[in-house]
Amino acid sequence: MPDLAATGSDIRLVRWLARPGEEVKRGQPLLEVETDKAVSTVESSIAGMLTEISISPGALVSAGQVIALFEVAAAMPAPSLELGQPNAPSPLPSAGALQDVALSAAVPAPPAPILDRSFLLSLFEHMVLIRQFEERVKFLFLEGVMPGTIHQCQGQEATAVGVCAALQEGDWITSTFRGHGHALAKGLTPQELLDELFGARTGCCRGKGGSMHVGNPDKGMLPAIAIVAGGIPLAAGMALAFRMQKTSQVVACFFGDGAVAEGAFHEGINLAALWKLPAIFVCENNLYGASTHISKVMRNTRIADRAASYGFRGETVDGNDVLAVYDAARRAAADGRAGRGPVLLELLTYRRTGHSRRDPCHYQPKEERETWLSRDPIQRFAARLQERGDVSAADLEAVNTRVQARIEEAVAKARLAPQPALSDLETDVLA
Amino acid sequence: MKRLGIAEALREAIAEEMERDPRVFCIGEDIGVPGGWGGAFTVTLGLEQSFPGRMIDTPIAELGFFGVAIGAALMGMRPIADVQYGDFLLLAGDQIINNAAKMRYMSGGRVKVPLVIRAPIGATGRGSQHAQSLERFFTGVPGLKVVAPSNAYDAKGLLKAAVRDDNPVLIFEHKLLYGSRGARAESGATDATSDIPDTDYTVPLDRAAVRREGSRVTILAWLLMLHHSLAAAGSLAAQGISAEVLDVRSLSPLDYETIGASVRKTGRVVIVEEGPKTGGVGAELAAGITERFGQALLAPVVRVASPDIPVPFSPALENAYRPSVLRIVEAAARLA
Repeated sequence: MPDLAATGSDIRLVRWLARPGEEVKRGQPLLEVETDKAVSTVESSIAGMLTEISISPGALVSAGQVIALFEVAAAMPAPSLELGQPNAPSPLPSAGALQDVALSAAVPAPPAPILDRSFLLSLFEHMVLIRQFEERVKFLFLEGVMPGTIHQCQGQEATAVGVCAALQEGDWITSTFRGHGHALAKGLTPQELLDELFGARTGCCRGKGGSMHVGNPDKGMLPAIAIVAGGIPLAAGMALAFRMQKTSQVVACFFGDGAVAEGAFHEGINLAALWKLPAIFVCENNLYGASTHISKVMRNTRIADRAASYGFRGETVDGNDVLAVYDAARRAAADGRAGRGPVLLELLTYRRTGHSRRDPCHYQPKEERETWLSRDPIQRFAARLQERGDVSAADLEAVNTRVQARIEEAVAKARLAPQPALSDLETDVLA
Repeated sequence: MKRLGIAEALREAIAEEMERDPRVFCIGEDIGVPGGWGGAFTVTLGLEQSFPGRMIDTPIAELGFFGVAIGAALMGMRPIADVQYGDFLLLAGDQIINNAAKMRYMSGGRVKVPLVIRAPIGATGRGSQHAQSLERFFTGVPGLKVVAPSNAYDAKGLLKAAVRDDNPVLIFEHKLLYGSRGARAESGATDATSDIPDTDYTVPLDRAAVRREGSRVTILAWLLMLHHSLAAAGSLAAQGISAEVLDVRSLSPLDYETIGASVRKTGRVVIVEEGPKTGGVGAELAAGITERFGQALLAPVVRVASPDIPVPFSPALENAYRPSVLRIVEAAARLA
């Protein structure tokens, strides 16, 4: 029985809308209930055959109670995403019925939370923050004032924000050389990141990490690991620690499609699966490892399929739909906390920029690029927000303006941030 | 006080540290299988009975489980990860060198990796891939500490110090010094037993030890070569040459204080290393001694090491490969 957020009132079953033996789809109306507010329909969070009904009309029910049993196929093939209709409108989520893009849930999903206006706007603001941060950093490089190299994530904002929004206080992430978005989504400030990118002593790694190693343990983010797949076994170990320490923490481990060919990916996910560790393996599949298309490096390009061969759940999700990502990550986190083991989330997305600083991205075919650019995660989410009725274009513009001011302020400070003292050179090697 | 071999002393150290600190656990291949071996050389034999859930047997996946150990260490656990043969450390090299050793620096000192790594090394009749002396590949990695005990007392004390240290510490153990018994006994083993006190003790991770005092020449060695060097010093004494023998023991950092005191006293240095001469720990020692104490040297530093070849299988060739007592005696006698 999902949580209807019925403010403590009794919930009474009015009638069942499906019968035992019936094949029920996810989202199909399953029962009618009455609260002190209204009579409402509860949609099925499970797809499968309804085998047994355990409460009768007139009975009181409570959230979390078992009210029916389903027979669920162990691994339903995930439907492929329709890339040809990039802007197909999706219904906005409401309590108890968050839209799923692609699922192969073997266990009941936890009740979906109510996605209120402020939460949705915060998702939007984080995505805008990442986009504007990356764009601003790009221009700082063009100006020639920023040292080193950068790997940017414009176009992939929904993966970072959707996943991190599903995490709780105390949860951790690991990241990669393309980690600015993950850091901002996990709560690092633009200031501590920009300072780090400038090599300043006030940066999140005190100027010793740089763009490829941003992190802040106080905010649940290890220094990002710039060796492809290097964070995957590490995340399994973090999850093992949570298990041994008997906490309910989870770790979300970000990596790209390129990591899937590495031995560390296979060894790491096998160990996590074997020991049912609370880890979410988040593959941001942006179709390219550096300049090489995914089709040139793997026969089976559906990365989520790898999970099944290691005995755990994998799911392919529209990674440019922040709510779809959020929902998938939320369910994966719930699996981890409940001891059901890891989940491999394959988030389909696209990199709008080159692999790194000087890459003009000429290997992305024009048609592919245009298709994906039209599925921009921020534009899509902005459109969906405005369909709600309580979010206006002006509200979204206010977010843009606020973020811009915040970043400009941070840039101004970062330009003047103090460089490390030479006496810092040999510190922090050993504890 | 009791007499123990290295394998038993390490087992006792692990058990005591796990008893003392619930964050300590062991992870590796075949380390806690009931009725199994207790790792390749019996070090963890039977510990799974005392510490259920804390002797974690892994698939054969060194890269994976070393990453797991490092991730757990970053989250506050204190893992002891071992490989069956040091050669397999190369499979885990990315995790050890790129993650364990650098995470603290990259974070600006905000995280720590309290990890212990145990690795058996040495040429022992197993051909080229279960035989290498791997120290050289790790001593030059900033962020790692590397030690190599030559006797049971040090093995126990160094392991305990390593568990209590907040950094990744790599302990190289020699297969011929374990004193493993029964089916895991090694032919050609050398006695490395010690009297082990009944009370808790540690051995510092950054100190060399003078094993025999002398005045004419300093012999630097560790692990099996330390035992050969002590035998050589006996022969040299019979020839009237007084040799001082130092157990380098701490391979990173090197204890130049103890080494320097001896070099200043004798003015002559022989470095003995199992493993190819080129690019070895001995090369670093020779350079470091020359830089620091060159004025005190009465003759150029001499290295006795294995030739620059893979470890051969045939016992006749393997014995010719590894520095012998005779080669050490000859080198020291020429110098003195």
